[in-house]
Amino acid sequence: MSLNPLAWCAWAVAALAVAFVDRNPYLQLVLLMVILNVWLPYRGRATGGYWKVGTLLAVTPIVFSVALSRFGQHVLFRLPDIPILGGRWTLEALVFGASTGAALLLVVAVFGVLQTTVRSADLVSRLPPFLYRAGTVFVLAVAFAPQTVAAVRSISEARRLRGQRSGWRAAPALLVPLLLTTLERAMQYAESLDARGYGSRHRSRYQRASWQPADHLVLAASTVSLLLVILLPPTPYMPYQGLVPPFPTLVGFGAVLLLAFPALLFATRREHHVADLV
Amino acid sequence: MSLISFDSVTYHYPDAQAPALSDVSAQVEPGQVILLRGPSGSGKSTLLRCLNGLVPHSTGGRFAGRVQVCGLDTRDHPPRVLGARVGFVFQHPDAQFVLEDVEAELAFGVENQGLPRPLMRKRIEEVLDQVGIAALRRRRIKTLSGGERQRVAIAATLVMHPAAIALDEPTSQLDPQAAEDVLQVIARLVAELGMTTLIAEHRVERVAPMVDRIWTLDRGALTDEEPRTALANGGARPPVVDLALRGGWAPLPLGLREARAHAARLPHRDAPQPEVAPVGPVVVRAEGVTHAYAGHSAVSGASLELRRGEVAVLMGRNGCGKTTLLKLLAGLLRPDRGRVQADRPVAYVPQDADMLLFAPTVREELRDVTPDLTRPFTAWLDRYPRDLSSGERQQLAIAVVAARTDVLLLDEPTRGLDPTIKQALTAFLQTRATAGATVLVATHDVEWAARTAGRVLLMADGEIYADGPPRVVLSDSLVFSTQVNKLIGRGWLLPEEVPV
Repeated sequence: MSLNPLAWCAWAVAALAVAFVDRNPYLQLVLLMVILNVWLPYRGRATGGYWKVGTLLAVTPIVFSVALSRFGQHVLFRLPDIPILGGRWTLEALVFGASTGAALLLVVAVFGVLQTTVRSADLVSRLPPFLYRAGTVFVLAVAFAPQTVAAVRSISEARRLRGQRSGWRAAPALLVPLLLTTLERAMQYAESLDARGYGSRHRSRYQRASWQPADHLVLAASTVSLLLVILLPPTPYMPYQGLVPPFPTLVGFGAVLLLAFPALLFATRREHHVADLV
Repeated sequence: MSLISFDSVTYHYPDAQAPALSDVSAQVEPGQVILLRGPSGSGKSTLLRCLNGLVPHSTGGRFAGRVQVCGLDTRDHPPRVLGARVGFVFQHPDAQFVLEDVEAELAFGVENQGLPRPLMRKRIEEVLDQVGIAALRRRRIKTLSGGERQRVAIAATLVMHPAAIALDEPTSQLDPQAAEDVLQVIARLVAELGMTTLIAEHRVERVAPMVDRIWTLDRGALTDEEPRTALANGGARPPVVDLALRGGWAPLPLGLREARAHAARLPHRDAPQPEVAPVGPVVVRAEGVTHAYAGHSAVSGASLELRRGEVAVLMGRNGCGKTTLLKLLAGLLRPDRGRVQADRPVAYVPQDADMLLFAPTVREELRDVTPDLTRPFTAWLDRYPRDLSSGERQQLAIAVVAARTDVLLLDEPTRGLDPTIKQALTAFLQTRATAGATVLVATHDVEWAARTAGRVLLMADGEIYADGPPRVVLSDSLVFSTQVNKLIGRGWLLPEEVPV
């Protein structure tokens, strides 16, 4: 089953809003479950690369927060008075970092779902004419992400081949070749766009937009979810003010659960399909 | 009136002292097929980029003279306008793709032209049939093989109905069969549509029979000649032309078909049995090696031994597992099953040699390299490595890695190399092997393999299915055989060894 790319975009906007606005760990956990449930049936042969990146991003704020923040009442341990790292390491800083990391993981997960479900060509073809150029640039930028990851891998490999250090400690040395490689590829893309008449005159559309009842349902559910988060924002969770998070309201749970519609629709369609076959 | 004309064109890249094109004047008539040949860095790509205005609009630099395409002066019209007149197929098809699906990619150009949807649909359907990729229309581009990608790139250009098409080494990345498929597409366009075609190609045997003129570039200067004259005068030429010149065949045949009558008069003699070249002890051994990427098997149960003092070549179609096997031997990948043993460090030069070069000058890249390896680079020591031509970069990357060990694994080192540099590479590898090095090269270049290797391994579907001397493995093969072998058979591989 495939949904209209704009329905997916509406879903992604609502999911990102929930991920950004609500740092309540209960809701973060439920949202993560919802996103996983949406991703699994649509993932096809996609691998979990996005989840690896998301997990890495989730760990980063924890490390920074706990190492750099000295606020909080619950002291885990104290380090001698050395620059930057010295002093009290607190549980509040750890939990705050984890909360921020979870939000980043959710954001990456939302983009992982989009990357799996929406083809850039479909998205570009449905953009209004005035957004076409910005959309194409965005699509190219998104396409660049996996290429940049591949370039990092190739450059690290090349350094190993030359007997030079690789791994995270070699990161600064990777920057220049990575920048050069990325710039060269950007130039090639620019030449290709130019050579194929990009921006030459009024553009026409090859793909026809189709809008099914399922798209309406996902759009409606996502819009309601977005409105609930904006109009009835949850009580913010601030670990530095209190470590125990408040239990979310039903409205909060409802806003998150509405985002499970794509998974529900997929399950319903599959049951119908199985019934037809029987 | 000519479709394309170059009028005293001289062009310098920004900050370059020497011109990339020097006083170039030439014309292309409608329907002509032009072959561009010349050493790496001689200006072939630059000249092609002049046709759609990428030079100088995109590159900058100093441009003198005039290029006219379909009556449009390229100085006055940007590439986005000229692109509809001259379709451009890049050397790396991946550099050309903007979107991720075949059909969307084909539509991109005609959408930019603002055509009504029914006309776009008609054009796309037509080009799918012309190029023979109708079965690929719903596929994602990243799932296509190299040959399929190049055909999609050609289709994406043709769909805009250009008056001419320029192809920058379109087969350099492809295995022999995929290259043949792409060239058949080009031949069909020429024969059925009369498409004006300019094609830059080092392996001229692939295109020589279909061209009307040959443009030879040397340090930016162009010589425009009739094909037989150009090939007789020197430069890159098909092995069958070398054989014909030795035998004094007239008129000079440009391809196998024209050469067959002459070849029938050659002495009916078999090639001598291959001599068993002396090689040393085993230095690298792989036993039943298997590797898969995300469940897709790349190498399945491959076994081989590499010995001291040998130059071996690994061949097979795109995606058959050559690169994965090299990486397994080099220790860059771990086998899922089986084992790899190496007595000494193994050096690997990847396909994209650029990744190995990141110092600001050639001198710094070669800092730890012995003087005998730096000698070929004396003239470039103060240049920025990425400003070198692709062939020069490849040479530099090999030198940089070769300095570290005596076991060398090279992945497609002859891509985009001109014959002179290929000869130098052959000499370099054979000298290293004589001195005790072990060399394994993955390549699609059958002619180079026959000239360079003492042993050829053929690979398919992750397995090695043939292993032996070139004269045995490359004889009587429909795909992996040299042009001379296709002409004469009987074990002959190279023009200089055939008795005439």
